[in-house]
Formats: sequence, C-alpha cells, structure tokens
Amino acid sequence: MQHTATISRLKAAGAPPRLSGFAQWADRHFKWLLVAPAVLLILALSVYPLLFSLVVSFINYDFQVPGHAFVGLKNFERVVFDPVARWSLLLTAWLSGISVAIEFVLGLLVALTMVRSFPGRGVIMSILIVPLFISPVIVGQAWTLLLQRPFGPTNYILTQLLGQEVTIGWMTESPWLYVSLIIADVWQWTPFMFVILLAGLTAIPPNLYEAAELDGVNAWQAFWAITLPHLAPMMLLALTFRLLDAIRMFDTIFIMTGGGPGTRTYTASYYLYTVGFTQFHLSQATAGSWLFLIFTALVVMLLVRRLLKTEPV
Amino acid sequence: MAAVAPVRRPKRRSIPVGRILLLGFFLAFVLWPLYWMFNTSIKPSDDYLTVPPVWFPTAPTLVHYEAALFAYRGLDGLINSLIISLSATVLSALFGTLMAYSLARYNTGGQHLSFWVLSQRFLPPIGIVLPVFLIYRGVGLYDTHIGLIIAYTVFTLPVSVWMMFAYFRGMPKSMEEAALVDGCTRWEAFWRVAVPLAAPGIVAAAVFAFIACWTEFFFALILTSRTAFTLPTVFRAFIGFQGAQYGEAAALAIVSLVPSIALGVLAQRHLVRGLTLGAVRG
Repeated sequence: MQHTATISRLKAAGAPPRLSGFAQWADRHFKWLLVAPAVLLILALSVYPLLFSLVVSFINYDFQVPGHAFVGLKNFERVVFDPVARWSLLLTAWLSGISVAIEFVLGLLVALTMVRSFPGRGVIMSILIVPLFISPVIVGQAWTLLLQRPFGPTNYILTQLLGQEVTIGWMTESPWLYVSLIIADVWQWTPFMFVILLAGLTAIPPNLYEAAELDGVNAWQAFWAITLPHLAPMMLLALTFRLLDAIRMFDTIFIMTGGGPGTRTYTASYYLYTVGFTQFHLSQATAGSWLFLIFTALVVMLLVRRLLKTEPV
Repeated sequence: MAAVAPVRRPKRRSIPVGRILLLGFFLAFVLWPLYWMFNTSIKPSDDYLTVPPVWFPTAPTLVHYEAALFAYRGLDGLINSLIISLSATVLSALFGTLMAYSLARYNTGGQHLSFWVLSQRFLPPIGIVLPVFLIYRGVGLYDTHIGLIIAYTVFTLPVSVWMMFAYFRGMPKSMEEAALVDGCTRWEAFWRVAVPLAAPGIVAAAVFAFIACWTEFFFALILTSRTAFTLPTVFRAFIGFQGAQYGEAAALAIVSLVPSIALGVLAQRHLVRGLTLGAVRG
C-alpha cells in the first residue's frame, strides 16, 4: 500500500510523466530487457562452450599431438572402446543408484519420525540439515579422517564392538572403498531427501488420518493408503533431483580415493577429468562429455517428463 | 468389572521407542564426523596415532589452524572464496530477479525460456567446464577472480531464476497494477513496488547462491591455479596425507564450514524452496 501511495505522491508532485525516447523504447521492450543479462550470460558461458566442445570433439585438440585436423568420429571411438570409460559409466550408475536408494529410505524414515511436533524438534531439525551446507570436499575429508588407517578411529571402534581385530583398508580395499564413498554420499544427501519428504508429509491433511483411525485402519494400512499416494509426486521430485546430482559424483572421490586403486573408483566425471586434465587428450574428453551429456539427457527426459505429468502444481 | 471390554480405546500415549532410537542413531551419524573433525583440529600431533584414540583432547592447541591458514595458504583461499562467492551471489541474485520477474509477470518466451533456464541446472558440469577451460585460456580469464565470478554467476542463475520465479508468482499483482495505473513506468512498478515486496525471497535466493559458490569445487579446481584458487581447492594439499597433516586438514575444514552452515541454518525456512528450485513451497 505505502509503495503505491509514495509513487502516486511522487507523480502528483512533479509534472505529468514525460518519457524520453530511450525510456519509451525501454518501457516497450521491458520484458526482454529484464531477461537479457541472464540469457546473454547463459549463452556465453553455457551454450557457446557446448557448441565449441562439439567442434572440439570432431577435431584433434590434444596437448600431446600438434595441429587441429578434422578427425571425424575418432575421438568418440576412443571413448566408446575404452574399457575404463565403460567401467566408469557402470560404476556411476551403480554408485548413484545405491546411494540414492539408501538416502531415500533413510530420509523417509527420519522424515516420518519428525512429522509430529515434539519438544526439541526445531533444534534437531537445524542439526539434521547441516550436511547440506558443507562442501563435498570437506565431507570427503571428514570421512577420510574417520576411516583412513592408521589414524581413523573406525577400525578401533569396530574392533571393540565386534570383539575381534578389524583391519579394513577403507580407502584401498574393494569393496570397502565403495562402501566408504556411499557412506559419505549418504551422510551428505540423506538430509536432502528428508527435508523434501518432510515438506510433503506435513502437507497431507491430518483429517485423512483421523478418518482412517475412526474406520479402524492400522498405521501400516494408513501408510499405504494415504501417505504413499499423497507423497508420490514429492518422492519422484526428490529422487529426480538427487539422482541428477548423484551421477556427477566427483568431489568425494577426488579427495577420498583419487580414483584409485588404479581406476577402480573412476566415475564418469572422474574419468573425463583424468582424460582431459591429467592426460591432456582434450578432444577425447569433450567427445566423452558429449556422450555423457546425451546419457544424462535421456535420464532427464525419462524422469522429468514423469515429474511434469504427476506434479499437481 | 474386569470382564467388561472398554468401549473406547484409550489414546495411546506410550513412548515411541523405535522412533527415538532411529532419530537418535541418525543424529549421532550426522554429528559424529563433525565432532571428530573438530576434535582432530585441536588435538596435538602427538595424539594422532594413539591406541585407543584420544576422544577428548586434554591439551587443545591452535597450531593446526595457524598452519592451515598461513603455511597452506588457507587464508588466501578464504579471501578469494569471499570475493568470488559474494560477487557471484550479488550478480546472480540481481540478474536472476530481473529475469524471474519478466517470466512471472509477462510470461516472456512462454514455457520454453523458463525450461531452458531450468535445463541448465541439470547439465553435467564436466560437459561445460572442459570447453570453458579452453575458452578461458584463450581470452585470459583462466585463474582470474573475474573468470570464476562469471562462471559461478551462470552456474547459480538457474536456481536464482526459478526460486524468484516461484516467489513472484506467489505474490499478488495488484500493487504493481495500481502503480502502473498511477502512471508509473514498468521499470518503476518493478523496482519500487515489486522488488521491496520480494526482498525476503531475494535474500533467500542469494543465501543459497552463496552457499553453492562457497562449497563449489569442480569449477574452481579446473579454472583456477595459483592466483584465484578458492578455499575448497586448498584441500588438494592434504590428499594422501604424505606428512600426516590431519590437524591442518581438519582445521581448514572447520574454518570453511562455519560460514555456510551459519547462513544455511538461518535461512532454513526457505530450504525446501531452495532445494527444489521453488517447485515446492516449504
């Protein structure tokens, strides 16, 4: 109210508004001028680089081979026939799939315990969301401190709990290094699932549960008949967002295992990073990143299409 | 009396043991790495490899903080991170708000434009960062503050745009319409009426943009080197722990996570909108 009042007073005080030529032009194209800075920035730093990389992936752009000759599909072939590339794509799918599944179940369970209010809920809420605001690099560092031999206390604690000597190389032995990477991911991103699912749970009208209770429905049946269908769109949203971030997994691997031992913990991002920035086969890396992009786009199309259909918004 | 079954079941007020256990376990899981990191950061180096481990350091020390900030150039990283994150946040919130307003009030470009912006959020960074690296080397933006500021502005724009898009759509138009009827230009209706009303939303969007920049590693790793390196990239020095710099790594982690956690917890009311790009109203 006061804003409009101020403005009308401003108008009344001065002469009737007279716009200069430029101001008139700006007013007419107002909506396009507003989007211009953001659109230009995205064009310059996202669309142009993508097109540039498409060009690079068809030529020779290698810090070890001089010249920029057109090589056709050779860069793509190198990636497709590289067993490490296929391994890294497979590992990306496995790691992200398992991590996201655990995060989803754990996040849902924790969200269910937090739906009703109880003393201390606000404080607990503030603590549970903390991992979301920490750099994945630091998360990797924190779990390294806990797990790495001989410094980390994890093996000592397990030894005490199990009553027998535990000497697991959490960062070096398969399958424990995958377990470590998944634990770090679960630690950081379960709160993501929890926060979104909790928002969905609190939005379910409580009278539905009251009606169900009157009808003698038990808690388990109520979960299947009321909670699940109402929460489904939110579940899909949380899973989609999380999965699309999980397949980029890089930071924790960089800190915790460095892709090793050998290439055992190469994810797609880590593989492409290594090809591009430690072997300097830049055109092979851009070709690979285009393949990965297409792969991601397929996942996006599958999931986001579903999402747009089911979402009631 | 005992034979008569109660007509109405009394409301169960039993203690939910399962829930308390689950929540307690999860709280411990969240807090444990943070505690151990803090513990490591103030522990004298002599306590590193004892069996059993030192759970509570009896002689806390700040030597690791000093080493992390100065010997490992953590302070330079901190300053770079502040400059770059703050600049990118301001630009992202500004351009994001401008665009979001246009999308929300004038439906500019229809669904295509808004979804094109959204799709940027889901591009794998590896696909962008390789060519950006080549372009930056060509134009002299490699390892500069400005280069990373531009990159971070673009990288946080989808979230800023979509958070503000949702915010403006949830705001009544009547004020701006009244201003336009009163003879305001569209710019005035936006700048003097809509922006002040949307201020809480803009602050929230800015907070999440800042946290995203502050915690970002991948772009900084590839686009910077000795000059514009940010705080997360300093952790490269501790990989492998050749010299057992556990304390330094932990100290730097503590220094780095305090600002983003503080901001995040303060803005937690807006967290759901921030995580879902405004798709869900928290």
